[in-house]
Amino acid sequence: MSLNEVELLAAGADLLAREAAYLDERRWDEWVALFAPDCVYWVPTWTAEGTLTTNPQTELSLMYFAGRGGLEDRIVRIRSGRSPAALPLPRTTHMVGNILPLEKPNSERIRLRSSWTCNAFFPLMNSSHTFFGRAEYELALRGGVWSIAKKKTILENDRIPMPIDIYCL
Amino acid sequence: MGVLSARSYVDDRPADGVFRVHRDVYSDPELFELEMKYIFERTWNFLTVETQIAKPNDYITTFIGRTPVVVMRDAKGNIGAFLNSCRHKGATVCRFEKGNAKFHVCLYHGWAYDASGKNVSIKQRESADYPAAFDAENHDLIPIAKLASYKGLIFGSLSPDVPPLEEHLGDLKFFIDLHMEQGAQGMEIIPGRVAYTYRGNWKMQLENGQDPYHVDTAHGSFMAIAERRRKGQGNTAAQEQDWQKRNNVQIGAYEFPHGHTSVWHDVAEPERRAVYASLDEIKSRVGPLKAEWMVRMRNAVFFPNLQIADQIVPILRTFRPISVGVTELRSNVIGPIGEAPEKRAARLRQFEDFVNPGGYATPDDITVFADCQVGFGATGVDFLQGYSRGIGASQQGANEEAIEAGLHPVSSVKGHRTQNTETGTHAPFREWVRLMEAGMAGRKAYP
Repeated sequence: MSLNEVELLAAGADLLAREAAYLDERRWDEWVALFAPDCVYWVPTWTAEGTLTTNPQTELSLMYFAGRGGLEDRIVRIRSGRSPAALPLPRTTHMVGNILPLEKPNSERIRLRSSWTCNAFFPLMNSSHTFFGRAEYELALRGGVWSIAKKKTILENDRIPMPIDIYCL
Repeated sequence: MGVLSARSYVDDRPADGVFRVHRDVYSDPELFELEMKYIFERTWNFLTVETQIAKPNDYITTFIGRTPVVVMRDAKGNIGAFLNSCRHKGATVCRFEKGNAKFHVCLYHGWAYDASGKNVSIKQRESADYPAAFDAENHDLIPIAKLASYKGLIFGSLSPDVPPLEEHLGDLKFFIDLHMEQGAQGMEIIPGRVAYTYRGNWKMQLENGQDPYHVDTAHGSFMAIAERRRKGQGNTAAQEQDWQKRNNVQIGAYEFPHGHTSVWHDVAEPERRAVYASLDEIKSRVGPLKAEWMVRMRNAVFFPNLQIADQIVPILRTFRPISVGVTELRSNVIGPIGEAPEKRAARLRQFEDFVNPGGYATPDDITVFADCQVGFGATGVDFLQGYSRGIGASQQGANEEAIEAGLHPVSSVKGHRTQNTETGTHAPFREWVRLMEAGMAGRKAYP
């Protein structure tokens, strides 16, 4: 791996870590700003035990937003103080690891996969739940800054016992 | 403690304008046991949709109450439904949610069944020294007592003493038609499944669909989202109705026999309905009346385990009681077979935006259900007060819209949207009392 590739992957890993940290620290504006305005944010569903939906235009997703506006909506919801599911907000800790390139990175595009867990404590129910899965990212250099152009999140434990939102994924 | 007479839990006095339900109905584990026995196991339950098992040897696993059931299409194409439990030691024979298999082999001791439920192999039978009494027994999977379909929806009963399905459905058939006749080539379940549990009693989701009153409070955060979308910001692809305009329409509810019920309301922006673009074709096929009803927002309940809902897009949502305070929900989104790609995508975006566990409504609903379940821990209180809205506007039999649609409800309610009638909850509770009373008295469920 060339020094340049190592630097690119380090930049990608840094972005993934910041994405998780901003969610846990409730730095919502900074979190949204990590995404490109025309980003695709996709959480497919499972069709049965072992298979995921593969096309969000013909099959069901847990979440699918074409554009950052869909993510901004979620922040408006959190801040509205009018969503019972977010009153009080669950406290979360994300861990992101096993970050590997999906292709050779270049100075315009980095594609990565990661594994993640999110431990979420729901004060209302005095109960914790661990959401976990993997994710695929496409990062794009926009105006000299790396942004998330695509994020596909796979929720492995999808028999969901708690409300889910962007901060659990 | 001990269970009292079924009637004592539902204070139902129409002449006095009283309808109240006791909190224990949602929280008493003994009542829950009786509900499984006298309601879920003694009446028709929704199982699945025929398109889910379209090909020979397709199968899908589900539950009637707590009883595991497998619905299979055999090699000849006939549909059967069986207890999903091996005759030998009881293990589930079909362990997957769905699939295609000519034979189902129990993974414990290898007994095998074909897709018609027939036992085709008992491992090492020849060397078993089985007595004649064993050989005289039937070893096939046990079929459930009744199985029937209506418009592609498959229903089953563990008890043989139930009315014929279509008689049991009655006017609910109209609301099933409104779902299943939207596509010229029929309707299908869109791939991808959503399954989640909440910490509340099964009847809460059943009631929630009949409860338009909660929407602007429990889903209040959506008002802020809707405000943004009016300005063209946010996930406008979801094409949700404008909730301000929604408040100026007519609302209604019908009570049907056998616990079935439906609320409906008119829509201010019909062009935002998934069905709208196909209305001309639909009118020519099913007539203007049904087409008009398809545009209306509807939420019908097939008692006890299915919501036939179309507040956003048509869905089939099943409730599976796990325990008195835990319920599993599954939502299936249906769409016309052969639907144009852009319409299918728009349908999906509407569903995901709202009635998905990651949407704007469902997480709030399941959270307030959990709040209720905690609240039921309060002692020294008896009846809840959440069933009276709309009673003053209730009339016996069919109202104008019902007569026009050829429906024969037990009672009808109509009013301004903000009347937010709660009478849609009455039919399920009246049937709850009837079935529980019959069970506790040792009578048949259907005389």
